[in-house]
Amino acid sequence: MVNGYQATSLKEALKILAKESVTPYSGGTDLMIDPEEHATFLFLARISEMKNIIEDTEYLRIGAACTFTEIIENELVPEILKEAAAQIAAPAIRNLATIGGNICNGSAKGDSALILFATDAKLRLVSSRGERVLPIAEFYLGRKKTALKSDELLVEILIDRINLSNYYYKKVGARDALAISRVSFAAILNVADGKIVNCMTAFGAVSDIIIRRPDIDAMLVGKTTKEAKVVKKEYIAAYDQAIIPIKGRISAEYRKAVCMNLLRDFLESNGI
Amino acid sequence: MMINFILNGQKVVSTAKANERLLDILRTEFACTGVKCGCKEGECGACSVIIDGKLVNSCMVAMGYVESCTVMTIEGYRKTERFAVLDTSYASVSAVQCGFCTPGMVLASECILAKNPNPTEAEIREGISGNLCRCTGYNAIVQAISIAAKEGKGLW
Repeated sequence: MVNGYQATSLKEALKILAKESVTPYSGGTDLMIDPEEHATFLFLARISEMKNIIEDTEYLRIGAACTFTEIIENELVPEILKEAAAQIAAPAIRNLATIGGNICNGSAKGDSALILFATDAKLRLVSSRGERVLPIAEFYLGRKKTALKSDELLVEILIDRINLSNYYYKKVGARDALAISRVSFAAILNVADGKIVNCMTAFGAVSDIIIRRPDIDAMLVGKTTKEAKVVKKEYIAAYDQAIIPIKGRISAEYRKAVCMNLLRDFLESNGI
Repeated sequence: MMINFILNGQKVVSTAKANERLLDILRTEFACTGVKCGCKEGECGACSVIIDGKLVNSCMVAMGYVESCTVMTIEGYRKTERFAVLDTSYASVSAVQCGFCTPGMVLASECILAKNPNPTEAEIREGISGNLCRCTGYNAIVQAISIAAKEGKGLW
């Protein structure tokens, strides 16, 4: 085909990527909004190595070319990711759009990327030279800028097999369907033997990069709910400093107010 | 160097480039003008088609993606028994006004019923949530789909 390659294996795709000037095309739903006239696409939808959702002893491994419909329908996927995926766009977009594309698009508004930040997911990047595994927070370098090299593909997303069932997720959009996040927030809080063992929060659509501050969340770890209440003010103040929203279609003040409200609601819903 | 796929049950070959939009090629090369162009950014659903059994916005699909796929547009779907049921149910409650969203809406209806022959109202609304209609206010469309589910027993 002219201006395109249809790859059927990862090896074949990486070979083309190393030699030719091509744009990896997974679901296409971001690319086709404004396609470059002379772009040559490398179609990834038939690469089986990028379509699996499997568990091993350490991780849940989600193939980067899995569509959001496939993610919603898969029983291994944690509810927090399913809930976020189900709120993306509408069924016809979710049938095409992939989790890998959502990440590689490099936007802080990516609704699945938010969940991957909150869960400290890792990305398996593969090229014909070899492969590396990068924490998602290191993958994002700025607005629409990622650490992906021109000969690399995001092949899999690795999520630690920790308990993700006690989660909080809110997407604030202008309407239910086909809405871009104005602010989004995801958090996980686990308590064992009366003490908080993890607190993981992430704020999306606020800044150029999704905000994830494990150093601030650490203030609550190791504490009982009662002890957490004592440092609550300090914790909220730390986020108040850390969150510097940018003005987009909506004001920075609005974004900030919503972030802080969601953070408080998350704490309150956990008795803090 | 051609792109081969099945369009409405027929094997076809397109001379289009792999980076062209399926929407444009369906309308120009294959004269499937029932596939409407509303927004070209995946926001309105007027260009909905069914690829390998799944509803997609054809404006968001590059031609290279459809190589070896099965594509159904309203032109093919209207020859089916299921369409006849939807046609009658849509007409019975005046679920069509200007008609611009209708081809996409009918294909979305098909995908709702193919997945679940007895959808709840919430499932119907979710299923058409990517198909915008400026005329009807949606209630008549939701009703039409639920009538089709009853009248078309056994077809889905």
